[in-house]
Amino acid sequence: MSTEAERPRVRPAAIASWLNAGWVERSAIWVVLVALLGVAALFSDAFLQPSYLFNMVRQAAPVGVAAIGVTLVMVMGGVDLSVGAVISLAAVVAAVLMDGQAGNIGYALAATLTIGAAIGFANGVLVAWNRGSPFILTLGTAVAVYGLTQIYSGGTARGIVAPGFREFFNERIGGLVPVLALLFLAAATIAVLVQRTTRFGRSLYLVGSNPRAARLAGLRAARLTVTTYTLSGLLAALGGIALLARSGVSSTFAGRGFEFDALAAVVLGGTTFEGGRGGVGGTVAGLLVLFVAFNLVNILGLNYNVQRLVAGVIIIVASAAYTYLTSRRLTESRLWPSHHTSEGAP
Amino acid sequence: MKTRLTAICAALVLIVAALPLTSLAQGVEAARVQETVATARFKRAAPYRVGVAAGYLSNSWVVFCLQHIRYEAARHKEISEVLVTDAGFNPGKQVADIEDLISKNVNLILYWPVDEKAIQPALEKAVVKGIPTVNTGGGFTYSPGTVANAFIDQVVLGDMVARQLFKDMRGKGKIVAMLPIAGTTAAVDQLAALRTAMKEFSQIELLSAEYGDWNRAKAKQITENLLQRHPRIDGVFSPAGQMSIGVAEAFEEAGRLKEVVMSPGDEYNGWLKWVAKHKRGGAVTFPTRVGQEAVRLGLRILNGEPVKRGLTVPSEYISPASISRYVEPTRPDDWWASTLPEEWKPK
Amino acid sequence: MRLTDRGIYWVLATVLAAAGLIPEFRSLGNLANVATQSAALAVLALGQTFVILCGLIDLSVGQLTGLIVVLVCDVAAGRDAMTAPALLLALGLGAASGAITGLLNNRLRIHPLILTFGTMSVLQGIVFTYTDRSVGRAPAAIAWLADGRLLGLPVAPLLVLLLAAGAHVTLTRTRFGMHVHAVGGGRDNARRAGIDTDRVAATVFVISGVSGSIGGLLVAGRLGVGYPHAGAGFELDAIVAVVLGGTSLAGGRGSVAGTVAAVLLLGLTNNVLNLLQISSFIQMLVKGLIVIGAILVNQPGGRRAFA
Repeated sequence: MSTEAERPRVRPAAIASWLNAGWVERSAIWVVLVALLGVAALFSDAFLQPSYLFNMVRQAAPVGVAAIGVTLVMVMGGVDLSVGAVISLAAVVAAVLMDGQAGNIGYALAATLTIGAAIGFANGVLVAWNRGSPFILTLGTAVAVYGLTQIYSGGTARGIVAPGFREFFNERIGGLVPVLALLFLAAATIAVLVQRTTRFGRSLYLVGSNPRAARLAGLRAARLTVTTYTLSGLLAALGGIALLARSGVSSTFAGRGFEFDALAAVVLGGTTFEGGRGGVGGTVAGLLVLFVAFNLVNILGLNYNVQRLVAGVIIIVASAAYTYLTSRRLTESRLWPSHHTSEGAP
Repeated sequence: MKTRLTAICAALVLIVAALPLTSLAQGVEAARVQETVATARFKRAAPYRVGVAAGYLSNSWVVFCLQHIRYEAARHKEISEVLVTDAGFNPGKQVADIEDLISKNVNLILYWPVDEKAIQPALEKAVVKGIPTVNTGGGFTYSPGTVANAFIDQVVLGDMVARQLFKDMRGKGKIVAMLPIAGTTAAVDQLAALRTAMKEFSQIELLSAEYGDWNRAKAKQITENLLQRHPRIDGVFSPAGQMSIGVAEAFEEAGRLKEVVMSPGDEYNGWLKWVAKHKRGGAVTFPTRVGQEAVRLGLRILNGEPVKRGLTVPSEYISPASISRYVEPTRPDDWWASTLPEEWKPK
Repeated sequence: MRLTDRGIYWVLATVLAAAGLIPEFRSLGNLANVATQSAALAVLALGQTFVILCGLIDLSVGQLTGLIVVLVCDVAAGRDAMTAPALLLALGLGAASGAITGLLNNRLRIHPLILTFGTMSVLQGIVFTYTDRSVGRAPAAIAWLADGRLLGLPVAPLLVLLLAAGAHVTLTRTRFGMHVHAVGGGRDNARRAGIDTDRVAATVFVISGVSGSIGGLLVAGRLGVGYPHAGAGFELDAIVAVVLGGTSLAGGRGSVAGTVAAVLLLGLTNNVLNLLQISSFIQMLVKGLIVIGAILVNQPGGRRAFA
């Protein structure tokens, strides 16, 4: 039985541990999603139709698959902005290797995924052995990869999709759920399981939130870094294949700008640059929020560019909200990006 | 809502006011195209170095156009080399590129702009130095920086596409328009041509004009939303084949392809494949061989022969029935039907 | 000072020497061109130097430049009488944007990368909702500023030299400059030493905003029209120049001279690649490699930079 003196102490601690569980952050974005859908439905009943909603998930699939990789990297405390370039390269390479023959599909996909993983590996090595900013570094990789794509393709998106490839992914199961959407959700589910139950997943969180403790616990940050960035490159290549399936051969810049949408989705979902919190589940919700907002802007007949404005405002508001929610349990110095306190560089 | 209404009213007023002006403007432009250019001061002896200031090279049409330029240059012994710069969609860089070409002492500059007005001062510097400039494939430009134009008339093209569409629609129904990057000559002229043609077909209604930026995926996404907004769409005006594929796919996935008539596109190979498969649509060409015409025009100027300010390369209509002569099924979608010999096609 | 801090000057000297071997490079006209072409980037990079020295970053400055280009040209519409109002509009808008960013940065406590990424998106949306095609015309005076000559020398590089000198003096000899270094070196320590860190942070954002204004005026003058895509990617180029010049992304260390040298290096590289007729696709690859190289040589000496 608690006395008057004890009760005030217990309650704040309980609240603090509740907040610590990340429960509020993780569910906040889903609440926002449902609320936004409700608002959107007021403007157009398209948002109540399952076929429209699933089509939206299909639209989001390429960015979404890449965003899974970006999430994992950011949980670990890094960031990968080369995903847009890798998506573009992957879409071109896959189509070229397929060359219109169904028999080539397996080989084309395997080669494309390998190339994506290789780029991710290069990113990981550069980041692990260097104290510089992964933000700028991966943007540099992006420009280099775009250059490679242009050199490889000679400026035209050469490549012929094999027959049956696109039809398979765009087929709607039960007339409703596109295969592509299903695959994206499956990939996200697998990622969530990995991050929650495997040792790899848990080490990501540990390295992100407390690099020193992670090192003392024997985790080798460099190896983890390389693995995670490689995974991000692989997922970005997968996103490129998804884009090819959805839109067919279009250009050598097909993925341009996707890295920013992916970053926005990740940040909306509660994962931050500091690392150590958030996760793929939140990213999926954040992604859907973004795409509902984009489609709402479109359906309202508003200028396509209002989408950018909306995206920007959402990002700022969401980040501020998250920081406010978590500020109560962090000391002030922790908020500032430069880790000048004892939690120094690994 | 209110600002949207105001904007729509304002736009309507402007369109109505501009209608008489557009026909006047077209008359003025027609006169300018026919104007003779005094080329005596550009006359010089061979050999010639040709500079190509490309606004962008990451687009299959311009890649083909450049191949046409190289092919034609190879057929003339008096052209000693072809120097190519690429501005990568950056007008500031295109200005710098033109300045660099002048430094390299080229004798002729062929160009297609990212933004016409932005490069005029740099082009004028070239003209002042005695280097003729020829606008290749872009919209007709009448300005001191551009000596002559080799171009395709987008108004005529838009008109041909619109009339074929209306004919296939039997003169009535609701249409949507899919246009390229807003503000480009192509977009402005195609829409103007559509509206002019619509004046003769009072039973055609334009539901919406959208800008797909020559991007197949974007055109598809915009169309998916159009299909949501409008329960009935009878026809699609889309002269750019690359976007037409995206639009058609959206209709197909929504199960509404049967109720819509697709306008002719251009000779983008991916679109030609679609036409061959579905046996409708057709094409009005946007010939890449304008590059060859530009080279020949430039050579005549360097020879001191008088030329007209604008040289048009005519567009032709290809019906769905004759598409098999033009489509190349073994080549990529991002490819163009052209008159290039096999060894000159892009690798 | 460490070798890497001086590194940029060695690289610049080497590239200059190599470039000197190309005959077209050596002409005065070409050199003047390179200097003029790099001027706008130099101004933006100067502003970004202040921000990064302070331990922050400003991703929105590229789109701000684009907005200024469009508004200046559209408002002026080529009329000389509108030159002064256009100038005031540009400077005012840049300062206002910087002030708002600074305020949000101080109040909202979110990472400046995220904040300025958001404001960049907002500005981009504003630019393209305002217009999706080129508008207006730059007045003659602004075109002269960007492209013209004074006593035979190109004006824009002279302006850059003036601003660079001012920036250098501010950072090395004024109290504000010392505060900037201090806040960049450790925000908590600076606050404990009595520095008003919020005000310093807000001021550097305003400086960045004004650098966007001046950069925007130069771009507007050079293009002559209000091209809405004019600012895209500029912020990355500016950040790369600052980092390449030896300023650490973690804050607290760096110099104006390094930034200017880096901008020159980037301009030279572009020019040389063009003169050598290297394909633009390869140029893109080279640019990416330069960015990566810039980060690799930029060692913050024991402290990891943010993200």
